[in-house]
Amino acid sequence: MLLGAAAGVTLMLAASGAVAGPLDAPGYTKAFACSACHGPGGNSRAEATPVLAGMPAWYFKKAIEDYASGRRPSAEMEPFAKMVKQQGVDDVAGYFAGQPRERATTKVDRAAADRGRGAAAACAACHGDDGRGSEARGVPSLAGQPAGYLKNQMLLFKTEKRSPGDAALTQVKAVMKPLDDATLADLAAYYASLGR
Amino acid sequence: MIRVTRRQFLKTSGGGMLAVAGLSGCRTSAGAIAPTSGRRVVVVGGGWGGATAAKYVKLGDPSIDVVLLEPSTSFVSCPFSNLVLSGNRTLRDLTFSYKGLRDRGVTLRHEPALAIEPEQRRVRIKDGYVSYDRLIVSPGVEFQWEQVEGLPEAKDTVLHAWKAGPQTEALARQLQAMPDGGVVVMTVPPVAYRCPPGPYERACQIAWYLKTQKPKSKLIVLDANQNVVSKAALFRAAWQAYPNLEYRASNKVTKVDPSARAVTTEFGDVVRYDVVNLIPPQRAGNIAVEANLVGNDKRWCEVDHLTYESLKAPGVHVVGDATIGLPVPKSGTIANAMGKIAASSVVSLLNNRPVAPMVPLNTCYSWISDREVVAVVNAYRIDNGKVVQLEQKLTPGPSTVYAEQAVAWATNVWNDILG
Repeated sequence: MLLGAAAGVTLMLAASGAVAGPLDAPGYTKAFACSACHGPGGNSRAEATPVLAGMPAWYFKKAIEDYASGRRPSAEMEPFAKMVKQQGVDDVAGYFAGQPRERATTKVDRAAADRGRGAAAACAACHGDDGRGSEARGVPSLAGQPAGYLKNQMLLFKTEKRSPGDAALTQVKAVMKPLDDATLADLAAYYASLGR
Repeated sequence: MIRVTRRQFLKTSGGGMLAVAGLSGCRTSAGAIAPTSGRRVVVVGGGWGGATAAKYVKLGDPSIDVVLLEPSTSFVSCPFSNLVLSGNRTLRDLTFSYKGLRDRGVTLRHEPALAIEPEQRRVRIKDGYVSYDRLIVSPGVEFQWEQVEGLPEAKDTVLHAWKAGPQTEALARQLQAMPDGGVVVMTVPPVAYRCPPGPYERACQIAWYLKTQKPKSKLIVLDANQNVVSKAALFRAAWQAYPNLEYRASNKVTKVDPSARAVTTEFGDVVRYDVVNLIPPQRAGNIAVEANLVGNDKRWCEVDHLTYESLKAPGVHVVGDATIGLPVPKSGTIANAMGKIAASSVVSLLNNRPVAPMVPLNTCYSWISDREVVAVVNAYRIDNGKVVQLEQKLTPGPSTVYAEQAVAWATNVWNDILG
């Protein structure tokens, strides 16, 4: 199947006579401006912004829907999510899903990651032992996201600021609530360390 | 006007290897140096817009010869440079090499573009001309020194520090050398100017520095505008923490007298200072004005909203702070977006492909202390070929999380421009 898809792409390119470069990827003209914060091709090299490169389209689209509706409050992302929806969320989601994920450059605190592994049993029940989640269950992948981003999101969950009142998130918030901030930081380091 | 042959040009050119590698296969007609491939994009100015554009033309079509003319041998970020004044960053933290662009095949020439000749499709440089098929000009801003009496003669001591570099460090040293109890005066120019929230972020940083290091000192902000130009409510709330900051709206400074250490406002008020930071009124960079790319206001360049091609000169695209007419701020994020859009349109035009509409966006972080940040974001859409604002949103207040995001933005956008 993969081979077939690759052959299809080659044929398309041959027909158009163009040599495909990084800017020829479908959706680039709608996704290009995201790189100011999320890095070229969605490969964020910074702690606080998530990596979008290789993000499954279903989760990208859910995040955009939640940001645009205000369900997931974010002063920064709400206007951009509306902009993405207006331009065509499928195209932008497809662009980032298709971007190769670079080797992460953010640092991982190994000692914290080891402690986090021990505290991750409750998380693994939904996110899986590999941290990659499950589309069928609507659970996103955490593996390899920057620790800073993961930590900030967990703090939002814990304080009921992430998607307040969302029934689907009751369970995850209950897991966060009793954990102290240091343990959340350890968990963040652990999930950041996966898939590197 | 100097006209040189290719042989003379190569002989006198300082960057011998660069010239051979990047400008070989030239024609000598009219003294212009043409590329072998037959297609060349010249970029004037290696700031946020120009460096991005140069990189993205190469990414879009590696067969296009890209020449970037930028006098400076390193890139110094204006965003975050207000933090140098408070000692919360060093200029070194904000200084980057152009190596990434060279590695991508961009020919860098560290010299100024002296003039643009749109009809001949060439740019004059010290030793001749560089011809182009498409030109992208990212000229930045120039100061209107003559608008403030006494300023043209005092340029070197009355600092603007509005282009990150030696003046930024010099102003930081002046603040450090000022005895406690001194008065710092900073002025805000009338709109339009580079970085609308920048002066107010600077006020926060200077006030933070004085509060923590020189508690008997004060800062007086003389604003030519009727109110804080950007994020007004957020800055005014932040200033509650700085009783040492006195803000005076509608106080346009029209005169500076360094010997009396005083500025004068248009109403005749004389304000004495120990340290002054005078940010002069601004217009597009000189080369854009001299090439007549500016509109009737003689200050800024009007452009097509889809291609950033000048409305005055076909084949010449203008990006960054020098542009006017789009509902966007003169910000680094916008210049980065414009660089990418202009690059894509230039690549499409040179390959006879239709130009796809590309919508910019803006995000703009301001440090109100050593650890807290406020932000504004702007989303846009394109309506009948024009960029219009879809929505603007401010952060509800300051936060250290926004500070983390500001750092993330800087890290990723610097990599987007230069990496």
